[in-house]
Amino acid sequence: MNKKSTRILAYPYLVWMAGFTVIPLLMICYYGLTDRTGAFTLDNILAVASTEHMKALWLSLSLSLISTLICLLISYPLALILRQHHIGKSSFVVFIFILPMWMNFLLRTMAWQTLLEKNGVINSLLSVLRLPPLAIINTPAAIILGMVYNFLPFMVLPIYNVLAKIDDNVMNAARDLGADNVTTLTKILLPLSIPGIISGITMVFVPALTTFVISNLLGGSKILLIGNVIEQEFTRGSNWNLGAGLSMVLMVFILISMTLIAKYDKNGEGTAF
Amino acid sequence: MIQTSYAKLKRFFENFYLICVLIFLYAPIAVMMVLSFNSSKSRSQWGGFTLKWYRQMFDSAPIMEALYNTLLIAFLSALIATVLGTAAAIGINSMKKLPRTVFMGVNNIPMLNSDIVTGISLMLMFIAFGISLGFRTILLAHITFNVPYVMLSVLPKLRQTSKYTYEAAMDLGAGPVSAFFKVVFPDILPGVLSGFLMAFTMSLDDFIITHFTRGAGINTLSTLIYSEVRRGIKPSMYALSTLIFVTVLALLLLTNFAPAENGKEPDVSAARARFKKGGYEKWLLTAVSFCIVAGVCYTSWRHLAAARSDELYVYNWGEYIDESVIELFEEETGIHVTYDLFETNEEMYPVIEAGAVLYDAVCPSDYMIQKMAENGLLSEINFNNIPNLDQIDPVYLERSQSFDPQNEYSVPYTWGTVGILYNTKRLAELGIPAPTGWKDLWDERYQGEILMQDSVRDAFMVALKTLGFSMNSTSTEELSAARDLLLAQKPLVQAYVVDQVRDKMLSGEAAVGVIYSGELLYLQEEAESLGLDFTLEYVIPEEGTNIWIDSWVIPYNARNKENAEKWINFLCRPDIARMNFEYITYATPNQGAFELLDEEYQNNHSVFPDVSELATSEVFQYLGTEADDYYSALWKEIKAH
Repeated sequence: MNKKSTRILAYPYLVWMAGFTVIPLLMICYYGLTDRTGAFTLDNILAVASTEHMKALWLSLSLSLISTLICLLISYPLALILRQHHIGKSSFVVFIFILPMWMNFLLRTMAWQTLLEKNGVINSLLSVLRLPPLAIINTPAAIILGMVYNFLPFMVLPIYNVLAKIDDNVMNAARDLGADNVTTLTKILLPLSIPGIISGITMVFVPALTTFVISNLLGGSKILLIGNVIEQEFTRGSNWNLGAGLSMVLMVFILISMTLIAKYDKNGEGTAF
Repeated sequence: MIQTSYAKLKRFFENFYLICVLIFLYAPIAVMMVLSFNSSKSRSQWGGFTLKWYRQMFDSAPIMEALYNTLLIAFLSALIATVLGTAAAIGINSMKKLPRTVFMGVNNIPMLNSDIVTGISLMLMFIAFGISLGFRTILLAHITFNVPYVMLSVLPKLRQTSKYTYEAAMDLGAGPVSAFFKVVFPDILPGVLSGFLMAFTMSLDDFIITHFTRGAGINTLSTLIYSEVRRGIKPSMYALSTLIFVTVLALLLLTNFAPAENGKEPDVSAARARFKKGGYEKWLLTAVSFCIVAGVCYTSWRHLAAARSDELYVYNWGEYIDESVIELFEEETGIHVTYDLFETNEEMYPVIEAGAVLYDAVCPSDYMIQKMAENGLLSEINFNNIPNLDQIDPVYLERSQSFDPQNEYSVPYTWGTVGILYNTKRLAELGIPAPTGWKDLWDERYQGEILMQDSVRDAFMVALKTLGFSMNSTSTEELSAARDLLLAQKPLVQAYVVDQVRDKMLSGEAAVGVIYSGELLYLQEEAESLGLDFTLEYVIPEEGTNIWIDSWVIPYNARNKENAEKWINFLCRPDIARMNFEYITYATPNQGAFELLDEEYQNNHSVFPDVSELATSEVFQYLGTEADDYYSALWKEIKAH
């Protein structure tokens, strides 16, 4: 291909990125590094070290790590099953997991509230069955459930995609050479699916780390996550500078995820869709 | 034999597992579907089967418009993002390693960044560059976060294609353009299509970014739903979702029997043959172009229609007006009203301050009016244009003086108190007498039964009043004492909520809730019509409470000040004020309207308390940024605890 002329094709988006990704990011940095009067300060960044913010950050990190792990534990066997059965065509599998996303995210999370509430659907069913009620609404467990529910597709799809690409002959070869099921899994499937796992982890971990809607609706606002802190600084506390400063700290975690991706996902194989 | 039964068992477990995950994914959707047929508005009471929400949905102009906006934005942004992203992916593929890595790094930012940061940063930029928020800005924002998804699905496909086929085509005499469309494009088409689909889905599902980048009079389904979350979601939303779901599912099942596109082994000839044959790609292309033409026609028609008549931009709380009042106003004056909603005072303030959208009439609360006036954001109202002001009971103008000392910026619209709503049956079960004051909210027997207000000032008001301090206190000792009190209460609190208290009290989730007096009539009527087995009562706490007043003001940058005055005057007309009262059930300061009300309402002391009952109550004042920051820092401590 004529490299110079094809490279031009990337320029429109380059301009777009400069305008709509880089400049807004610089705006955040400007707000984060100044106070209300516009004077330079590092207070907004250092504010993350305060007890409340550390607590919120720690809680967000642990909840999102737990939900990422649960997503992974649910998704991997699921992706294996889907691969083995060659269920339908690949696009059909993708659709099954994308379809819930066509129902509004807020409505879906509200629906979980209806399911989990003290007098909710699940507890009504349990009481009919004479089982003890489930009291997880307004607790961290409900938030984890909400995160797993909302971000599960982001884990299933990339893993399924890499698994589906593995040639059956590779597996057959392993079997012919005497590997049992467990060995095939650990020596063949797992190593080959690492790009998918990594990209799944990032796609679940980042939104889970920054969510505020899920913790508001399912946590009864009693549990403060770092996303809630930032949202409140912008929409209620009206201290935009502090909100921007904390967002910059969050971006550090995003940078870490990005370097992880760059390290393991050299070929861009671990794509979700 | 053992082998087959083992395989059967394995197969059984696998299917079982699959079904469990699918139940998990689709259970909430099933709930929504059931609710869409529930004749009761409550989320937890089944009132019988009905189709009325479906009728209501088609009749509702805001829902239909939001649906239209959502689809148009999803479609346009996905389309533009697909073109931009595919071109960029091709370009990037022939770049050297370093620029490519940088390019991909920047490209990943919107996808990896939290939505809230992306949304806010875009909003900051639009405001800084004076781009007024609206349809355009939502579209730009959606394109921005959609392109990375397109690139992510196109790039791997590009890597799988062989560059030799392209060169071979050129050798055989094809031009670069035709070589691309005949050789490369069919190869990457599955990636392009799935990128488009993904972008469409992400745009459809986005709430946070839209929330921050939208402007006056424009709603997508997400933002419309969000404004309803506060006051209980209308079942017609569930009806709409069900309809969307069923439609998409049907389309899916249909297309699933169409030729599959398995990306495993790019089979060039088959893909090309399919494209030539005119498969669904061509059909898709036709649909795309049709939608764009229709969309452009519709928006430009709306634009023209709007430009012809007189304009008025109104910014009000959600569900804070009888919508037929707007129609009446438009009919009588010929002024076209663009009506927009905000959720909190704090959210409204920066919008006015930045001039991101130029509103003519806004309805903030007491302390916020003071803040706006002090910062020069309000323009004095010309009261010569508001003869109906004499209908407003002078008592409320006097009260307004605590935030608008000269009565020059504001005209009272609604007022009320904050108090305790309690579930009589639940209290009897718990063996607790009816609450009389705020102090009862520290009764240990209420473990997990209290719904507190999730707003800084209101929560602190409760604690400060309990301690006998002023709710406008700025003393650090008083505030620390209040914080300690709220911390002590936290284990008893079920949830901190704003307007969800209505829904939760109706479904019997909690025994007591801190609530605005205006909600009372609605709740009691609703409880009655649902035939609930408990009643809800309201008490104004004896320690005193917050008397709040929401008033109409005109921002300094209003473009249609006289129309705004006409609007305010219209709302002060007794018959109109009465219509609004009966719809929103928040107490009216309008004496003329009060006299028109049924006696039953006039004698309702919870809604219209006597002056003597409010001796210890106060109106919120703006305390300055420093005090604001102090309050929110303390509140964060409580929340994080």
